[in-house]
Amino acid sequence: MPSSESPAAVRARLDLLDPMEVARLGGLEVLTEEIVEGFLTGLHRSPRRGFSVEFAEHRMYQPGDELRYVDWKILGRNDRLYVKQFEEETNLRAMLVCDTSRSMAWTGSPGTVLPKLDYARRLAAALALVLLRQRDATGLIAFDDEVRAVVPPRSRRTHWHQLAGALAGTEAGQGTAAEPALRRVVEQLRRRGLVVFVSDLLLDPALTLKALKFLRHRGHQVVVVHVMDPAEVSLRGPTEARFEDPETREAIVLRPRDWAAEYERTVARAVAEWRLACRSGGIAYHRITTDTPFGQALREIVRR
Amino acid sequence: MIGFLHPWMLAGLLAAAVPILVHLLARRQPPTVVFPAVRYLQSTTREHRNRLKLQHWLLLLLRTLLIIALVLAAAGPTLPMRGVPGHAPTALVVVLDNSPSSAAVLGGVRQLDRLRSAARRALARATPNDALWLLTADGVPRRGDAATLGRLVDSLAPAPRRLDLGRALALAGEVLSAEARPGEVLLLSDLQQTAVSGAELRVPVVVGRPEAPAPANRGVARLAPGAQPWSTDGGRVGVAVAGDSGASAPVTVRIGSRPPKQLLVSPGGSATTTLSGAGAGWWTVSAELDADEFRLDDRRVAAVRVAPVARVRWDPADRHVSTAAEVLEGNGRLARGGELTLGALGAGPSVVMPPADPAELGALNRALARRGVAWSYGAPVSAPEASDSGALLGRVRVQRRVALQAGASSSGRTGVLATVGGAPWIVRSGEVVLLGSRLDPAWTDLPVSAGFMPFMDVLLNRVARGEVVVVEGTPGDPVPLPDLVTAVRRDGREWRAEGGELFRPTETGVYFLVAGRDTVGAVAVNPDPRESALARAEPAELRRLWPTARLAPLAEAGELAFGAAARGDLRGPLLWGAFLLGLAEVGVASVAGRRRAA
Repeated sequence: MPSSESPAAVRARLDLLDPMEVARLGGLEVLTEEIVEGFLTGLHRSPRRGFSVEFAEHRMYQPGDELRYVDWKILGRNDRLYVKQFEEETNLRAMLVCDTSRSMAWTGSPGTVLPKLDYARRLAAALALVLLRQRDATGLIAFDDEVRAVVPPRSRRTHWHQLAGALAGTEAGQGTAAEPALRRVVEQLRRRGLVVFVSDLLLDPALTLKALKFLRHRGHQVVVVHVMDPAEVSLRGPTEARFEDPETREAIVLRPRDWAAEYERTVARAVAEWRLACRSGGIAYHRITTDTPFGQALREIVRR
Repeated sequence: MIGFLHPWMLAGLLAAAVPILVHLLARRQPPTVVFPAVRYLQSTTREHRNRLKLQHWLLLLLRTLLIIALVLAAAGPTLPMRGVPGHAPTALVVVLDNSPSSAAVLGGVRQLDRLRSAARRALARATPNDALWLLTADGVPRRGDAATLGRLVDSLAPAPRRLDLGRALALAGEVLSAEARPGEVLLLSDLQQTAVSGAELRVPVVVGRPEAPAPANRGVARLAPGAQPWSTDGGRVGVAVAGDSGASAPVTVRIGSRPPKQLLVSPGGSATTTLSGAGAGWWTVSAELDADEFRLDDRRVAAVRVAPVARVRWDPADRHVSTAAEVLEGNGRLARGGELTLGALGAGPSVVMPPADPAELGALNRALARRGVAWSYGAPVSAPEASDSGALLGRVRVQRRVALQAGASSSGRTGVLATVGGAPWIVRSGEVVLLGSRLDPAWTDLPVSAGFMPFMDVLLNRVARGEVVVVEGTPGDPVPLPDLVTAVRRDGREWRAEGGELFRPTETGVYFLVAGRDTVGAVAVNPDPRESALARAEPAELRRLWPTARLAPLAEAGELAFGAAARGDLRGPLLWGAFLLGLAEVGVASVAGRRRAA
């Protein structure tokens, strides 16, 4: 961050800062609001774009409008450029399902990169605030090897403080069992809604995908946010090390230098498999690393 | 068997353990790193762990082998190997047979020149790390570098001394036994059949064998001047010719510078002739053949002492003695006179017999003692015995004798000349000769034996007069010098000597033995007559005598030096191997590196 900028300017665009630096500036609630403010400021050209929007009317194309909203049929008929405008849907119910297992508490670079859980908390809080500002009822389920916290969806603006408090109060648990948490979503969302699943996906893929597809089958929009630490993407470490899973205690001894390339390929393959599996089930998938600025992550998640 | 030039460098093999130690140290319990995505690691390694493990072991093996190869190369390993262009340091003894037969000329080239050429080729292949010896007919192993020995080879001439090849090989083996380097012997010889003998070969031997047959040869094998001294009337000389040339050849025999006589002698035959006209004194008699392909055996010499015959006084009543003396007188081998007394103790040189009456022994012993004779007569012995065969006398029966006793203070020229059952029977002390028996058939069969006349001739003309036997010798072989000899002379040269010691004549010719101012004997030195037989030993015989030796044509033997025991230097292949191992290591490591970087 250039030192010439004023603190106010810095705080105005916290969504673009390094997550670790953002975390150093203050608590979850305060900063999340500012992140969302900055994020929404960045969306000024299409303020109504979001999860819960429906088509309302056309207007003339203006420079800066995204081409994907151009109505090509009108262009074909009248040779004029119109863009579609959308109306907010006010009765959307959303559930944020956040993984708080022990693996989420890990960071490959303590002091430099936020632990995945901290990142996920802030990201979930920001998403909740965005949703609540759209007057969407938003709830939260936190889980590790069992469901740890459940906040039913509400649309009041003040509900966000309850959500943020629940997120801040979660502690990293032990193992990861997403299926029970996802099934709990069914209880919370009686009608079609939005499910945002935030996890490092170090869990049973088959069961999790089955549960996610079940939600999709119930008519919910499902978004999977795959949170990864940069050190999980690129393998580093001492000459030789014993790598131990904090949840299962399984370990493996190897030389990172020998395996880095293969490991990256394996991770890329795993991500690709998740992406493919989600796409085939009509589930949106986003992989976010914990060094990604929150605004960028939010933009990617809300982009549809 | 692999050998090493610098075996201490093998200690460096410990360095080969470095990669293994590094590997083992690196395998210590590594630090634990908490890492949630272990499932991805497991998935990654599941497929490639075997490949990577193989890669690691391959690298470990390559690095260890690389170090081993470098250390071994530094230690200079060698391996017995034929046909390699170079050779590892070797101890080589070149046995160059420059015995007289090497002077034979074949095809216009002296045999020695062929041997020298082969030796030079062998020495040219030597390296500074080789230990080199040259062993020639003189039997002295000489060590030196290739240049020094090359000069020595160039200066070699046919030696007058014979070389026994079996002994030469044994000597070469002894020389090499003290050498740490692998040894080898290169034998370069004309391989005369008469020179080869068995030898225990403990080192590789290459035998250079002339392929062309030996030239035909004739040589004077013997020159015998007969009984000496000759009288002033002259004497008879016998000549024998050896060789494989069938035709008879004229032999020129002469004494001193007197006009020669010629004999026609066929190889393998002999002839005699009379030489005369020489005055009293020592003379050199020579017999010479016309020149042929081998010159050194074409001439032979002998020493002859010409002196007036002994003037002897004897008792005519002693029938057998008188008869013998009269026969010798009739043949000119003695004359009547007072120079020598036969049968009793006289004023001068005497041949004394024991008295027939034992009662006279006491008076005789006292007379002998007064003359300073170191021997005396003892008790009569009547048991029938036989004399022991010796140089003076053959085996004869002895019925009676009187024991001869050595005095307490023996001095002068004392010595036993003949024995009976080991007991002295004829002895000499100064100019007195004592016989243990009377020359009577009642005492001994000698007077009625065939050897009686020659015995009397020698006894009177040589033994009793103190003449020295003229001995024959060959160059280099020791000749025992008689008592009282103080010097040896030949052609104006003189060697100080002491009676009883061994004298080694180096060249052919006549050496005169001097005692004070008198010449008391001579040594006639001639080439060994076996050198005249130039016929070569057959390969089958050589293989029988030297089973492990490698026979090779003489022209190629020089090139084969360092070949029988040649040890290929493995440093080059090892360094190449190390280079290839290094390349392989770099290749494997870079493949691993590329996989890591990918």
